[in-house]
Parts: sequence; structure tokens; C-alpha cells
Amino acid sequence: MTTNTKKQVPCKDGLWSKPSSPDEKPQLIGSQCPNCGEIFFPVNPVCINCQSQTMNDIRLSRRGKVWTYSTIMLRPPQWYKGPVPFDLGYVELPEGAMIWTRLLGAEPGTFKIGQEVELDIDVMQVDAEGREILGFCFVPVRK
Amino acid sequence: MREAVIAGVGFAKFGRYDGQKGRPYKEIYELGAEAITKALKYADMEWKNIQVAYGASMFGGLGVPNQCTSRLGMPGIPITTLEGACSSSQQALRQAYQDVANGLYDVALAFGTEKIPPGLIADTLSPVWMLMMGFNLPGMYGFETRRYMQESGATEEDMARVAVMERKNAIMNPNAFWYQGPEITVEEVLNSREIATPIRFLTACANADGASAAIVCSKDKLKSKARKVKIAASAHATATFGYDNFGNLIHEKVNPTCTELACKQVWERSGYGPEDMDVIQLYEAMAPSFLWDAEQCGFCKPGEAGKLVREGYFEIGGKKPANTDGGLLGRGHPTGATGLAQIIELFLQLRGEAGSRQVPGAKIGFCHCSGGGPNGVCHVLKR
Repeated sequence: MTTNTKKQVPCKDGLWSKPSSPDEKPQLIGSQCPNCGEIFFPVNPVCINCQSQTMNDIRLSRRGKVWTYSTIMLRPPQWYKGPVPFDLGYVELPEGAMIWTRLLGAEPGTFKIGQEVELDIDVMQVDAEGREILGFCFVPVRK
Repeated sequence: MREAVIAGVGFAKFGRYDGQKGRPYKEIYELGAEAITKALKYADMEWKNIQVAYGASMFGGLGVPNQCTSRLGMPGIPITTLEGACSSSQQALRQAYQDVANGLYDVALAFGTEKIPPGLIADTLSPVWMLMMGFNLPGMYGFETRRYMQESGATEEDMARVAVMERKNAIMNPNAFWYQGPEITVEEVLNSREIATPIRFLTACANADGASAAIVCSKDKLKSKARKVKIAASAHATATFGYDNFGNLIHEKVNPTCTELACKQVWERSGYGPEDMDVIQLYEAMAPSFLWDAEQCGFCKPGEAGKLVREGYFEIGGKKPANTDGGLLGRGHPTGATGLAQIIELFLQLRGEAGSRQVPGAKIGFCHCSGGGPNGVCHVLKR
């Protein structure tokens, strides 16, 4: 987690929890259906599986495994301001949720399917008002 | 439902119409009008015979179909603009088919026209926070391909072989971007630059401009009944990428693939199966999707397509000739015009008019198209 005096804003509100103490770490927030048990990310008011209209917020595991990935060699148009090449992929969490994410913290192209990774929050870019825009990513678990 | 047949087809050759490097400049409307004019001529019809029209474009903007037809004659008729991502114009064909088959109209026009800026196309499917995090469509194919390789054992070389086969077919197709282009080798494909691993420049389709058109009518409106080609079945199904984060894309329980859904319908409705097809079209904006589409459409078992490609199964002269016109990799991909271009190739094959790429004696063909959303559109055509 980055800490400095600049104003920081998430790329979208509600994607992850804000730690209430220094010991707590952010977690992605999803929705779990009380009827069929399916988990979705991010929060959604309706269950896509069984159409239940009541969903419960759930804090998702910080660790998961790389399910697939791709090293992006061309700069995505318009919105992306980070380095190129970089890795994108899906991370499968123990509770079954599939998270599309950036994969950072290692040389691009070195991730492996099944590799254990964990959630991190980073500064992606600075907007026109000087605010730092935060995003989420997964990084290799350091053993 | 009554029988609906294809009376005529037309192309504005797929290529570049940007006025640069000695290439001609043409407006998107001119391309559309060119394809429609050729389809009318082929069908031996005039504009006044057309009772309803569906015009497709993905990047054209406001009222493009109307601008295409406005230069052909006074309209009066209903002209509907249709955007369905990369399957737009095959959805237009399906609308024309439904109108004729259900007896609403006797003669219906479907067409697609497109001019695409070079490079990665802007993404309007995804929320801004995902775009800030770097979401892009080639990357999406990269994920699917990596996972497919893991599960099927298919290799990068298998994908390269698809790219080589399709360029070879396109060399023989006067309407293809790659017409009379050079043959390429597996080594050249595997050495081409990476876009989103394991997708490379030569395993990706080429953005192109162009237009395609087809006239659908009831049997009694045909000017000639010789070598009649009917639409034996039509199907369209959707799935979901999921809302934000696209996590549902790979969530099979809540999201059966639209290709499988549409295929199931088209096989049931036509009364035929994959084994009956003489010539087929599979949608492959990137070469690896040829492999998983062949499996999902039922032409082979899961994980088997790579091996069949190595054996030449899908080549002209093979057991199940596919993408005989060059497919998206060789024909080029003017998004809104692609779906009908696939149909046109089947039509020409079934009429015995495909020239040097003709599959001898082809009587029945299958077409699979898909687009962002995602959606899947399938047709069976029969002579």
C-alpha cells in the first residue's frame, strides 16, 4: 500500500475494502448469493446465476492462483498510463471467484499458471487534478 | 415458415480505402453502395424490388445504412441499422431471413459496410476503471489462448498452421485483403512480433475496410431457379462477459458459450449435423479461436482441433474444408462486413462459383460467426 501526502482515489469506489487499522490489509469486495451460493466480483445487486434479488457483500481472499495470463506488448489505447510490456490475467480465488487483474511485481512474461499470488493496491496514474488513481493488482507471494 | 433463398451477393473488395500509399479513397457509404449494387446485379433485380433492408456497421456512426442506400434510389422502405459487434452483418442476414421466412416481405436486403482506423480498436465494451488497468481485446484472446493451450495441449505451431492455411486460401480470393499476397510459412508466423502473448502479429486478423451484401427472397421471386441456395437454418445466441471485471466470461456454470448455444439450435433446426457439412466457415479474429470454435461447433472433440490442423483436415482438399476464402486472417476483418462475407463464400461454394478454391460438389455448408458481447450467430445453407 502506498502512503504519502498526495490525495489518493480508487479507480472505482467499492472494489476493495479500506483498512481501518495498520494491521488490516485491503480485500476485494464481491457479492455472494444467499440462495445458490455463487460469488461474483465486483458487487452486483442481482445473482446472475439464479436471479435472486438479494445479495450479500463478501470480503474475498487476498490470495489466489494464476488461472491464465497474457503479456501485453502493445500499449492499450487512451486510458492506460502504465509501463509496456505488462501482464494481465485471471486469478482464481479459493472461494471460486475469478478476478481479472494486472499481474505485477515480477518480470513481464514470467508468471505461470497455478502460481500463488496476492492482492496489492498501487498508484496507476495521476489525474488532471493531481490526484493519484489507485488500482488493484496481484503480485507473487514472497515465501 | 416458408423457404427463404439467397438471390444474389456482392462485395466491395476488402482492403484499404484511405487514399494513402497509392490506395484509392472511398467513403464508407460508397463501399456499402458498391456491394449492394453488385448484389442487385447478381440477383438480376433493381433497387425498387427491395422491400426492407438491414444495414450493419460497427464504427460507421449515425445513419450509415441509409446513406448507402440513399445513393441507389428513393428509399421509402424500412431501413434498420444494426450493430452486433463482429457478427453485425450476419445478424442483418438473419433479420432478412426472418422477414422472408415469416412472410412479412418477399425480398429483403442485408448488408454490412466498414472503415476501420488502423491499430488497436477503441474498446467501448469495458468500464473506464478496467481500461485504466490496461484491459484490451487482444489481451482477452491472449488469456483464452493460454488457458486453451493448457487444457488441450494445442501448441503455438498449431495456431501458426491455421494462419498459413488461411493466407494460402486468401491468395485465391479476389475479394480478400490478402488476394495474390505472398504465401507465408509456419516459421514466419512464429517469428512475427508478439501482440498479447501468445498472440502474434500473423496469428491476428488484419483490420480492413470493405462491404458485403446479400439479397434474401422467397422462392417465387428468384429470377432463375438454377443452383438455388436456401437458408436451411439460422440461429443467434448471446452469452455474457459478465458485468464489470468480466469474471463471468470464464464462469461456465452461469455462462455457457454462445457458440455452443447457437450451434445446438442450428443443428436442431436444420436437421443436419457437423458430419453432413461439405464446407464450413469458422470465426477466428485470432488464429487460436479457429481451434476452439471447431471443437465447440462439433466438428471434432475438445482438444482435437490442433491435431486435425496438422493433418490438413480443414484445408481445401481435406475432409472438412474451412475458411476457404481466407477467413478473417486472410480475407481481412472489416468488422461490420465480416459476417456476410462468410455467408457469401458459402453461397459461392454451393453454387460452384468459387474458382480455384472451389470444393468439388459442395452441396451444404455451415457458418459460425461471433462478436463482442459476446454473441454467436450460425447458419446452414443448402443447395
